[in-house]
Amino acid sequence: MASVIKLPIRAPPLPSSWSPTSNSKKTIGPLAKRTLLPVGPAYLAHVRRSVHNHSFEDHDR
Amino acid sequence: MAQANGSAPEAAAPSTKGPAVIGINFGNTYASIAVLTKEGHADCIANEDGERQIACAVSFHGEEIYIGNQAKPQLVKNAENTIVGFRNLLGKKFSEIPKDQPITSAPVIQHPEQPDAAAYKVAILQPAPTPIAAPTPSVRSVAATPAASHLPTPRSEPTPAERVLTVTEVASIFLKSLVQSAQDFLGRKVEGAVIAIPSWFDESARAALEEAAKEAEIDVLQYLDEASAASLISVTSPAKTLDADRNTLLVDLGQSALSLSLLSIRHGLVYSIASSYDTSVNGEQIDVKLLKYFAKDFTKKTKIPLQVCPAKDKADQRAEAKLRLALEHTKRTISASSGAASCSVESMKDGMDFNTTVNRMRFDLECRSVYTAVVAAATRLLESVGFEPIHVDEIIYVGGSASLPGLDETFFTNGFPESVVTPFTEGSVLGGGSGDPTSLLARGCALQAKVLAGIPADQVEIREAFKRGSEHASVHATSKTLGIILPEDVSEGDAKAGDLGGQWVLGVPKETPLPYRRIVQFDCDLGEGTEGERKVGMDLWEVSEGVKVENIKQSKEEPEEGEEDEEEEEEEEEEIREKTLTKETQLGSLQLSCKHPIKEKGRWKTTVEVQFVVGHAGGVILTAREIHKDGKGEPTTLTIHPVSQS
Ligand SMILES: Nc1ncnc2c1ncn2[C@@H]1O[C@H](COP(=O)(O)OP(=O)(O)OP(=O)(O)O)[C@@H](O)[C@H]1O
Ligand SMILES: [Mg+2]
Repeated sequence: MASVIKLPIRAPPLPSSWSPTSNSKKTIGPLAKRTLLPVGPAYLAHVRRSVHNHSFEDHDR
Repeated sequence: MAQANGSAPEAAAPSTKGPAVIGINFGNTYASIAVLTKEGHADCIANEDGERQIACAVSFHGEEIYIGNQAKPQLVKNAENTIVGFRNLLGKKFSEIPKDQPITSAPVIQHPEQPDAAAYKVAILQPAPTPIAAPTPSVRSVAATPAASHLPTPRSEPTPAERVLTVTEVASIFLKSLVQSAQDFLGRKVEGAVIAIPSWFDESARAALEEAAKEAEIDVLQYLDEASAASLISVTSPAKTLDADRNTLLVDLGQSALSLSLLSIRHGLVYSIASSYDTSVNGEQIDVKLLKYFAKDFTKKTKIPLQVCPAKDKADQRAEAKLRLALEHTKRTISASSGAASCSVESMKDGMDFNTTVNRMRFDLECRSVYTAVVAAATRLLESVGFEPIHVDEIIYVGGSASLPGLDETFFTNGFPESVVTPFTEGSVLGGGSGDPTSLLARGCALQAKVLAGIPADQVEIREAFKRGSEHASVHATSKTLGIILPEDVSEGDAKAGDLGGQWVLGVPKETPLPYRRIVQFDCDLGEGTEGERKVGMDLWEVSEGVKVENIKQSKEEPEEGEEDEEEEEEEEEEIREKTLTKETQLGSLQLSCKHPIKEKGRWKTTVEVQFVVGHAGGVILTAREIHKDGKGEPTTLTIHPVSQS
């Protein structure tokens, strides 16, 4: 489940002018309601997680 | 409904061969069956006639019943006792069925006893001395395999009789023979099946199919909609170049309709962003174009007039029926190789044979209008939800007519960029490859049957979650694309990075069901400096996606002042489309001190792992940590609050 995607990129050196912005109170955009297709092992895993209230980390173990 | 998922396969399979479960694609024109291999893959199998695409046809001829491809030739001389097209009539009332279609097979009639029920009446020979069958003949009294019908012992003359069958009964006879074929192949009893159903199937169609399956004694583990079945193949055996998170366009060009779905596939979870179903574009139109083309060719060669689609008289009707049978071979040859395909009909009309060939170019020319209609409908579907062809990562094809390479080519000539992965670009169509559109649904159903058979019978809640309307299927999804920008000195940055001010790393694409997690790793250039703290920084952004269209002139430059150009001849212009990203909202930043840099060619570098987690309610946890040869460094985290729900 915890597959790591290796990206073929190289982050450029951090510009000296950069500084982290202070944490804004913003949230991500509105969520949409969708209906999963009840198919495949990933849906089964999703159901198991939600039935047992597991987080991703619990599931990795 | 009640028995759809409820019945568990009794006990575990006795042998190491795995569960005896199958997948069934029950189309209106063709059906197919898939079983699980020892390795757990799904394989589409051939029936006892050697057919993988099994014609949905049932024909009564004297004492014989022909089912499948053996029944189709009966459409030439025994059309009135040959039943086709019954799948699409499941659950329909007699009064709902259009009566204006030309009749080329057993006509649909009002059932003599049941009010407003559709039925077929066929002439049969009743074997003597068996008494006349009861009004509701058991399906099992019908031999599922026509081969076994010649009895060795002589008996008295059979008597002519009539048999009335409801649509559901015909479906039941047919389904039973499919399961029998699977059973013969497996050498053991089929314990459960997943059956694909089209998206437009309503309650009554489902109920009728359930009744047919029950009569055929099939334990149906799930009625799976076709888009789900098709997506499972892409999820299980994706093309190597595809990301685990992708937007997939599903194109099902069946004999009677075009079904389209834009799917969000995210780490194996799938939902439909938009879908459409359109009976005004279909494979039958391809047949009509080709039938007319060949009829004209026949007349040209023989000087015998022949009018088809619709046929003028009995002789033309029979010629058309023969030509339709021959066309099956022609179409399959065209999709199997780039060479010409033959079309041969013995005694097509007035005793004259017809032998001709058609090449790919000619074939595609005849079908072009259907191909372009499919691509136009797909483009409209994308537009309706703010997608462009460039945002499609993958196309999956389903259905016989979608095997035609000319259709795939039309997608690329009509606006879809080369970046789109299709089974044709992957070379997985031929030889029953994973992309084969004619077997995809059955194989997807078999894989789903494996998933379901693997759930222990006592895990009721989990089994229930595969039923329609399960609350577990309802999710929230993101509406904006989220990712990080690795800042770059704008002076050094190239034009591309310039817009965003750094290197973009995708975190969570829009239309992603929650909760979600994505973990990426990449290298970081830390510069050449020798002293001081080495840091990696990143800004978390929501972005919007668009396209940049550029018209590139192929030939010589135009004069700068464009005022006085009076509609000169258009120069070769090529439209170049590029994905664009525009910053929308910055959510925060994260800074990581690097403890384990290594020196390479005079520059320091390290590897960083970034994890994006978005919770059910839209809260984001961004974690970054260094990866080094002895393990992972201390994580640094940025937390974004959940979206407040109204
Ligand atoms: N390899 C092939 N190349 C071209 N055409 C094919 C191929 N295989 C099957 N066909 C054609 O595809 C058509 C059947 O399509 P399909 O099996 O998708 O229909 P269906 O699912 O039964 O119908 P529908 O979905 O409309 O109810 C037939 O006309 C058949 O001749
Ligand atoms: Mg179909």
